[in-house]
Amino acid sequence: MLKKTLLMCVALTFPLMVQAQDTLTLYTSQPNKDAQMTVDAFEKANPDIKVDWVRDGTTKLMVKLRAELSSGVVKPDVLLIADSVTMESMVADDYLYPYLSPYRKRYESSLYNSKGYYYGTKLITTGLVRHLKAPQTPVDWSDLVKPEYNNQVAMPSPLYSGAALIHLATLTAAPSLGWHYYEQLHQNKVRAQGGNGGVLKAVASGTKPYGVIVDFLAIREAAKGSPIEFIFPKTGVSMVTEPVAIMKGAKNKQAAKRFVDFVLSDVGQELVLKQGYLPALDGIGVPAGFPKRENIRLMPFDAAQTLKNNASNKARFSDIFEGK
Amino acid sequence: MDNQLRWLSTGLFILIVSLSVLPSVRLLLEALSQLTFSASSPLAQVLQSERTWGALKNSFYTSGLGAFIAVILGAGFSFIVTLTNVRGRGIWVFFFMLPMMIPPQVTALSWVQLFGPASPMLNTFGIAPAIGSPQPMYSANGIALLLGIQSAPLVFLTMRTQLVSLPQDLIEAAQLAKASSFQIWLDIIFPLCRSALVAGGALAFVSSLGNFGIPAMLGIPAGYIVLPTLIYQQMAGFGNQMLSQVAGLSMIIALLVLMGMLLQQWLQQRSRYALLGHSTHSIAFSLKNWRIPLEILLATILSFILVIPLLALVVSSMVPALGMPLTLNTFTLSAFEEMISRQSVTFRAFENSTWLAFFSALVLMLVSLPLGYLLMRMPLRLRSVIASLIEVPYAIPGIVLAIAFILLFAKPLPFIGISLYGTLSIIFLAYLSCFLSVCLKPVLMAMSQLDPALEEAAQLAGAKSIRRLIDIILPLTAPAFFAGGLLVFLIAINELTVSALLWSAGNETLGVLIFNLDESGDSVMASAIAVLVVVLVAGVMGLLNLCASRLPKGVIPWHD
Repeated sequence: MLKKTLLMCVALTFPLMVQAQDTLTLYTSQPNKDAQMTVDAFEKANPDIKVDWVRDGTTKLMVKLRAELSSGVVKPDVLLIADSVTMESMVADDYLYPYLSPYRKRYESSLYNSKGYYYGTKLITTGLVRHLKAPQTPVDWSDLVKPEYNNQVAMPSPLYSGAALIHLATLTAAPSLGWHYYEQLHQNKVRAQGGNGGVLKAVASGTKPYGVIVDFLAIREAAKGSPIEFIFPKTGVSMVTEPVAIMKGAKNKQAAKRFVDFVLSDVGQELVLKQGYLPALDGIGVPAGFPKRENIRLMPFDAAQTLKNNASNKARFSDIFEGK
Repeated sequence: MDNQLRWLSTGLFILIVSLSVLPSVRLLLEALSQLTFSASSPLAQVLQSERTWGALKNSFYTSGLGAFIAVILGAGFSFIVTLTNVRGRGIWVFFFMLPMMIPPQVTALSWVQLFGPASPMLNTFGIAPAIGSPQPMYSANGIALLLGIQSAPLVFLTMRTQLVSLPQDLIEAAQLAKASSFQIWLDIIFPLCRSALVAGGALAFVSSLGNFGIPAMLGIPAGYIVLPTLIYQQMAGFGNQMLSQVAGLSMIIALLVLMGMLLQQWLQQRSRYALLGHSTHSIAFSLKNWRIPLEILLATILSFILVIPLLALVVSSMVPALGMPLTLNTFTLSAFEEMISRQSVTFRAFENSTWLAFFSALVLMLVSLPLGYLLMRMPLRLRSVIASLIEVPYAIPGIVLAIAFILLFAKPLPFIGISLYGTLSIIFLAYLSCFLSVCLKPVLMAMSQLDPALEEAAQLAGAKSIRRLIDIILPLTAPAFFAGGLLVFLIAINELTVSALLWSAGNETLGVLIFNLDESGDSVMASAIAVLVVVLVAGVMGLLNLCASRLPKGVIPWHD
């Protein structure tokens, strides 16, 4: 009986370690619905490939990935995550596979890595959001530290979200804001827990009438009927590009290359538009609810410097917001 | 003991050691690793960190208050349902037990959907609080309240065991002596169940200490951190480089929980008074005019702790976007449609959870048969030692067990070189370790009720032990195996804490799916999945209820 049991255990666990040849594993920080749309569209265009995907916040996803890498398992073939700084750190640790996609020439050179390690797929800016019944209408970042916003604002934590980490780097580098701004935010009891999804929940459910959030989440939910509106602040917005990259240890590089080509192709970019994001490819328009592309004011951002400062930025943020 | 049995016992000994002892020992080693008296060893760092002490304090507060609420609810309910002639006992008990079987993160989600300025339910009736007012559930007291509701059935069960064995004659004697009902309560019933009350409270405290789903859904958004969520955040934010420190934190919880367990066992042993035998029928105080008001009270409590939150959950799953009221115009099933027909992860999570739950139940049932048989034949002292060893992985919080399994399996297995980390197998093994005692308990209970004469007769006729096990013991105790397995299935299908740290690509469980969806802001879709899970759980429990009359007494915890 026992022997049978043990045999059964072994027999049951074994099939789980075998992988089919034509499956592609994708790690992404896109919301579930978008990730599924992207995968469905890709599978439709490439019927011979099946995609398994996992979604989580960029930071948590990278922790999971690095734990897997250190235990010798490489699960994903392709990454589609929030920001280029995380990608740069993956390049620095030699985890990515360079691929020169034929589609790259149509993109601005700032949107992709010149050696082909990763490609930006869309533009995601971080701005302000308010509940429609909220008494104030903030117009700039500095509004959030005013007394009438005390204990009324939610923002994503850079310890969780890749976009929020870049947002932190952008704002702390701005002469008018700097680290002093973040200290003021903390003093004004701005809540920084979890990712952009948490901010959406807090603002849409009215617990915190104001928030700092990525554009598409707020604009898209508002279009569905959620009582919120997105505001582009006067000083400008920070931006991430949600890059796609192939893992060096990818089991299925050919399929991975096709995935990269797909998201950069016209079909892929129109899907991005349909999902409610600003596409990385210029000239195919903006989704409903967005201002014209040239009217979106981007704050300056230095990727190389940010990568260097990432750890100290996180630690300093954690000291201000969590240390006592 | 013949040869077959010796072979069996060696095998099972190895099994218990690997399933229960190995993870605990590995954790202890890691926590004590690099132990020097300098300030830089991981354990010293943990003990110096203010966050540790803050989380410890918060854990004590929420679990303490939670246990208090659980005692009030659970004891009150068991007094009314066990000792009075209230109508429809079975139904009350079934609905009172339901919160324990509903996954904690679903309970938390449904309560969050109930309150707050944008509650679809309150907005539908136009009574939502003002914008910007805080969500009352995102607080220490909110966490404590839900912990209390979640663990009230534990107190209920502990109390009920004591109450059904209260001696009828003692009370009849008091009644003959013209004692008032109040005096009977004060002088007879209360003293006899005082220890059971404290033991139930200790049990509720321990289970609240290890609860992850409720403080994760309610505490993390408010920055209120307890020990299990601190461990989760450290692991999720910084990864395996935190393992030594996290192991230290885990040891703190494990120690607290073990202390609670010992206290509870000690009290329960003390509470076994030598009463004048078991009464054949339980006591029924006649309620007379009080019956209807009391029944209304029960119904009100149940609607507050169960029906209204679940209704809020259903309402929230049927609006197009967060923060909208449910009206005829806004009603939509698109969240269900999206999750069921488009999201591949839904199907995968249902498949994974069902697979894990089914095979955990099956394997544990198969293991429990020889293990229970063996345990019944051991000297009492040895049996109780082994029984407590099996109890350990169930008692220590899931998050601690998950850390232990990461420590054990982070590197590829020696000799065969296969890595279990990041596969469904590691969750499967953790479930086996976690739920062994859940399955074994009813089996042991059924075996202890067997008449040894049957087996002795078979032995005289020359049947070897394996033969006797399969031909005599198994058929006679089969209902208990079935019930144990079904309980494991029910608990495992909703499991979140262990899988929250162990899941990986393609290995999402239902608990993880709901938690992640809610965390990413897709609360409407999370609610839709939660509704489906509640339907599933209530269905399986109902099924179990239908079989109740064919099962031995005491096997289904919520049934007489």
